[in-house]
Amino acid sequence: MPTHRPEPRRRSDVDFSASVVGLASAKVHDGSVTLIQAIGLRKVFRKPDKAPGIRGSLRHLVQRRYSEHVAVDSIDLSIAEGEAVAYVGPNGAGKSTTVKMLSGILVPTAGQVHVDGLVPHRARVENARRVGVVFGQRTQLWWDLPVRESLELLRDMHGIDRSRYQERLERFDSVLGLGDLLPVTARKLSLGQRMRADLAAALLHEPRVVYLDEPTIGLDISVKDRVRSFVRQLVSEGTTVMLTTHDLSDIEEICQRIIIIDEGRLVYDGNLQAVKDTHVRERTMSFELEDSLLGADQIAARLPGARVHLESNGRELAVTFDRMTLGARQVLSAVLAEVEIVDMHIDEPAIESVVRKVYAGQLQAEHGGATNSEPMR
Amino acid sequence: MKVAAALEARPLPADTRMRHLRAYRSMARTGLKSLLAYQTSFLFGMLASTFGALSMLYLWRSVLSAGPRHGFDWPQMKAYLLVAFVAGSLVSSYTDYRMANRIKQGDVAIDLVRPVDYQWSRFAESLGVAAYEAGTAVVVALGAAALLGGVPLPDPDTFGLFVVSALLVFPLRFGIVYMSGLLVFWTQNYVGLQAARIALITLFSGALVPLVFLPEWIQVASAYLPFAGMASTPALLYSGSLGGGAAATAVLVQAVWSAGLWLLARGMWSAACRKLTIHGG
Repeated sequence: MPTHRPEPRRRSDVDFSASVVGLASAKVHDGSVTLIQAIGLRKVFRKPDKAPGIRGSLRHLVQRRYSEHVAVDSIDLSIAEGEAVAYVGPNGAGKSTTVKMLSGILVPTAGQVHVDGLVPHRARVENARRVGVVFGQRTQLWWDLPVRESLELLRDMHGIDRSRYQERLERFDSVLGLGDLLPVTARKLSLGQRMRADLAAALLHEPRVVYLDEPTIGLDISVKDRVRSFVRQLVSEGTTVMLTTHDLSDIEEICQRIIIIDEGRLVYDGNLQAVKDTHVRERTMSFELEDSLLGADQIAARLPGARVHLESNGRELAVTFDRMTLGARQVLSAVLAEVEIVDMHIDEPAIESVVRKVYAGQLQAEHGGATNSEPMR
Repeated sequence: MKVAAALEARPLPADTRMRHLRAYRSMARTGLKSLLAYQTSFLFGMLASTFGALSMLYLWRSVLSAGPRHGFDWPQMKAYLLVAFVAGSLVSSYTDYRMANRIKQGDVAIDLVRPVDYQWSRFAESLGVAAYEAGTAVVVALGAAALLGGVPLPDPDTFGLFVVSALLVFPLRFGIVYMSGLLVFWTQNYVGLQAARIALITLFSGALVPLVFLPEWIQVASAYLPFAGMASTPALLYSGSLGGGAAATAVLVQAVWSAGLWLLARGMWSAACRKLTIHGG
């Protein structure tokens, strides 16, 4: 029997997650102002069916055939003021299309959308005064002008008065290091510099809602960190943020809520911690042992259903278990019943594995497949 | 919260108008600055059209040395062609090309989240550019006039109408150029459209050959189409070849088309928005 208990190195407490779920879901349903609301949102693109080669092109001139591509298929969304929501899914899932409908760029094929009481594609100009949009792959800046002139033009478009404008610039300088970029012509900026300037351009008018469409794409670690901490700050000030990304660290650092879509359909909408609980049930506890062990069969016998792996040196033990059938405490006592340990840690499930499951189509099976292509004349 | 939102949704009209005015003025300035960034290529474009105009002038000089034709003598023709040259230089170098590229590459998405009207924005930008285009073209025209032994002053009887007519060239050209740019929403390509648009304007506006020299059907068609107002009408008014009721009617046709094209373009834009597909994120 062990004589001393090691101080476990734990990244999070097992029971903590439940309270977080409770808090966050209360925030959504406690009657706070719903800022973004979509009901049955749908977007169908029509694309020409052309046979390959010149023959195909010529035939298309005479006999036009199109197939419909359902990019977004009846999505319902309700986002409260001040929420930070990650909107994720594989390439082509319909993330950007959704964001473009919410921001008034695209007209939905069907369904309703309201943002801050407006229908974005009908009240484009008014909507643009209240929302900010950052597209990681496009720039808001005027390509041939210095950043300063782009910002001044946006100032005039939004009717921001000069003293407020100065305050905003100082703010952007302190968090994004904007000052150095002001005299530089937009097309001469590096990607990281451009993204910093673009964030300033999108947020100059202090929008209530900010859509970030892959804001960290292609950026190096230090710029990513800067962008993330800036967005975290926005969220803490009460700005509603909807973030589309493939970078899972973005999600974990910024958002409390995650919406997963695949093939245009909503697959999951809920608390980030809850999605981990539901879909990432496996966790691993790793132990460093005081003495080397010859075999782990006895430990395995105490933990039915868990996978026990002993490194060949006999000093490192890993137990992988389903968190719903076994608790960390049970695993710990089972191990302690057999060996003395020096150190231990628990690997928390990363959101990455959830999204990977969606990408691999594992979650989709639970919700039924979506038919994406219907031929049409 | 709700009250505040409602107030924001309907700001005081005067306030909004001021904000818009300032925004569009800034955009006009930006259009000009963006053009200046490519000043060299603009000036080369201007050089090319100058050579084109000069060769037309020399051609007409030799044609008319035998005597006036269809009521045009050489000094009148000189004036006609130079006014048409200046008119033809407006909205020729920036608006459609830039619009077409942004639509094709999907950057029009950004234009749609700006708190300003798309059509007025392009109008303001084009106006800024047109100031520069007109300035350069007038300098070139004066140079050409000096080279060719001077140009008669405008006809004093129709001078007022000429000024109105000259001002109407801009909205007319903008309307046609803007709509040809919007067509990229459907075609996804601009090269052919631009060539077709230039050919159409050049023929029906009488920019190279006054309309009276063309077949009857073209003259009848161009009396009702917007193109004559883009070169022929102001050029005829300057050279004094158009007077009385015909002059007033021609200017009225210009004005009606300016408004008509604006409204047509509005309709086209809302159709384009429903059609819009943004490729690549």
